[in-house]
Amino acid sequence: MNVLEIRNLTKKFGDFIAVDNMNLSVSEGEIFGFLGANGAGKSTTINMISSLLRITKGEIQVLGRNIVKENKFSKMNIGIVPQDLAIYEEMTAYENVSFFAGLYGLRGSLLKERTEEALEFVGLGDKHKALPKSFSGGMKRRLNIACAIAHHPKLIIMDEPTVGIDPQSRNYILNSVKKLNQMGCSVIYTSHYMEEVEDLCTRIAIVDHGKIIAEGTKEQLKSIITDTKETWIGVKNAERLDLDALKRTTGVNSVRLEEQTVKIVSKGEINNLNWVIQQLIRDQVEISSVEEQAPNLETVFLTLTGRNLRD
Amino acid sequence: MNVLNIALFEIKKSLRDKRTLIFMLAFPIVLILILGTALTNAFHNGVAVGDMKLLVKNTAQSQQLQSYWNGFAQAIGKEGVELTPAANGIDGKEAVQNNQFTAYAEIDDNGVHFYGSSRQTISSNIIQGMLTSFADKYSLAAAAVKNDPEAAQAIIAGSMSAGSFVQEFSIDPDRKPGSIDYYAIAESTMIAFYACMSASWLIRGEVKRKTALRLVAAPIGKMEIFAGKVIASTIINFLCILAVVVFSKYAFNANWGQHLGFVFLLLFTEVLLAVSFGLGIAYLFKDDAVNAVMMIFVQVASMIGGAYFPVDEASGVFGAIANVSPLRWANEALMSLIYNDDLQAVFPVIGLNTAIAAAFLAFVAITMRKREAF
Repeated sequence: MNVLEIRNLTKKFGDFIAVDNMNLSVSEGEIFGFLGANGAGKSTTINMISSLLRITKGEIQVLGRNIVKENKFSKMNIGIVPQDLAIYEEMTAYENVSFFAGLYGLRGSLLKERTEEALEFVGLGDKHKALPKSFSGGMKRRLNIACAIAHHPKLIIMDEPTVGIDPQSRNYILNSVKKLNQMGCSVIYTSHYMEEVEDLCTRIAIVDHGKIIAEGTKEQLKSIITDTKETWIGVKNAERLDLDALKRTTGVNSVRLEEQTVKIVSKGEINNLNWVIQQLIRDQVEISSVEEQAPNLETVFLTLTGRNLRD
Repeated sequence: MNVLNIALFEIKKSLRDKRTLIFMLAFPIVLILILGTALTNAFHNGVAVGDMKLLVKNTAQSQQLQSYWNGFAQAIGKEGVELTPAANGIDGKEAVQNNQFTAYAEIDDNGVHFYGSSRQTISSNIIQGMLTSFADKYSLAAAAVKNDPEAAQAIIAGSMSAGSFVQEFSIDPDRKPGSIDYYAIAESTMIAFYACMSASWLIRGEVKRKTALRLVAAPIGKMEIFAGKVIASTIINFLCILAVVVFSKYAFNANWGQHLGFVFLLLFTEVLLAVSFGLGIAYLFKDDAVNAVMMIFVQVASMIGGAYFPVDEASGVFGAIANVSPLRWANEALMSLIYNDDLQAVFPVIGLNTAIAAAFLAFVAITMRKREAF
């Protein structure tokens, strides 16, 4: 059964179409990656799923029920981990989780039990009485998650839950996502960190200009771009590089320079490595390494959208 | 149940906001103390009367008049009038003109001739009143003695007791508040209206804090959130006012009258008005403008409402502006209630506060429903 079903979803702000006739489904037990550059439409979609925004056209179903017609049911089954911290700094960790869980109808001993369980789950079991203002960025992010899971939702939407935190907290959160999934939760996960999505997600959708332009497993997505290949060339004097000349080289689709590495995406069927190297020699660029890259999600995203995920 | 949960959480949150709480409690108390002490004289109705010196030239031959005058002189002496017999050759009128005496009186068998000082008008008027009383009573006794000597004796005896010469009447018989009494009322109504400042953050704060997303995503209605917040804000602000009233009553002996129940009812409706007004302004203006609009309105309303100094009946444009200050309505109604026992003065203000609050709350509720999220 699909935990989330989106059909012909459209959202307009005046004349601007933020989400354009989107179709999407998330199966039970999936960790679904939702990728898109800033302004692609993923936050708007998430906001419609969480009822923050009204749907202009189309339909969203949670566990087979329309979220507009059966709003309370869908809300009861969704947990939101917003991109921005959504906690009360002046209330203790326990009070924060308990308040939000209380809004989902939990009362008395069950509320207490679930609140403690959620705090324990995110590693804040010993911080019940602490105020979030005394927390590190990572601890606040974890509290942000605890507030979303105490009511045991079937679907958890995590909108960039690891932004701006230390590697230790990041690992903790990623492991928590896996654990939640093992416990039976379906997760929609958005991130600017492609490696997180590759590591966590069983299926991924790439959104651009309000539309889903690709959807599938990692392997399926990578197979989309068999017609291109990526070559990374390490250089020592990058300042001599003529990027425009490289772009004009036969078979080259795109060229970008990241620190001391030139990343070149070329047409798969053309072997243009000799010409590329000749161009570099002409520019008197000193080559330190040459690597042919296996296709990855970053390449897929770049090829499909023409943008980096962090653009 | 959700409304109650939200209200309790909001109250707890407000109690943790020590800065706002201290402001709401300490600010009015400090103002009552400072303004009430500094402006004591502005509220004092009494007039200081200086020494009353009467220069007397008594040339009366009548035994009866002499005897009556001596008794009278003793009686007014006890009332603080210093009598000085005029020495031969002294010009009484000139002595008064030179401010050596408050008044000069010549007494002979034909009556009393009085000359008062134009510099000490009040003292002089008091002495004149006493002498008039003396002359009237003596004339009455002189007339009565022919038919009823006992009655004449009684008149004379009665007029010789101290303190019976001048009876005070006032064209403004109402009781008036002292400065502490006035500022206890004025600062309490002012701080009640300050509730609009925190109320403007009730929903805005959730949006800024990003917790609005969680609230909207939860299976509760917007109106439950709205109701919970309005209830909490009204309760917490009213509790602050209650504390200020009780403190001013027992610590400063401020007069809150005999109808405390109605005083609290009126203050409660003013807090409700302020909360709904704050919410309304937050929805009427863009985020950045809300604080400025609120601050300007509160300060102007406080000033023309009499929070910093008493505002008498004003006319023209200022009068029209002053009359739209909710603080002015509240202050005037409370003054009437406390000092005139006028219960009727309170009900129109309670009604007006409640009606305006209802209008603002309805506006906010409708706008909130129409809006996506908040």
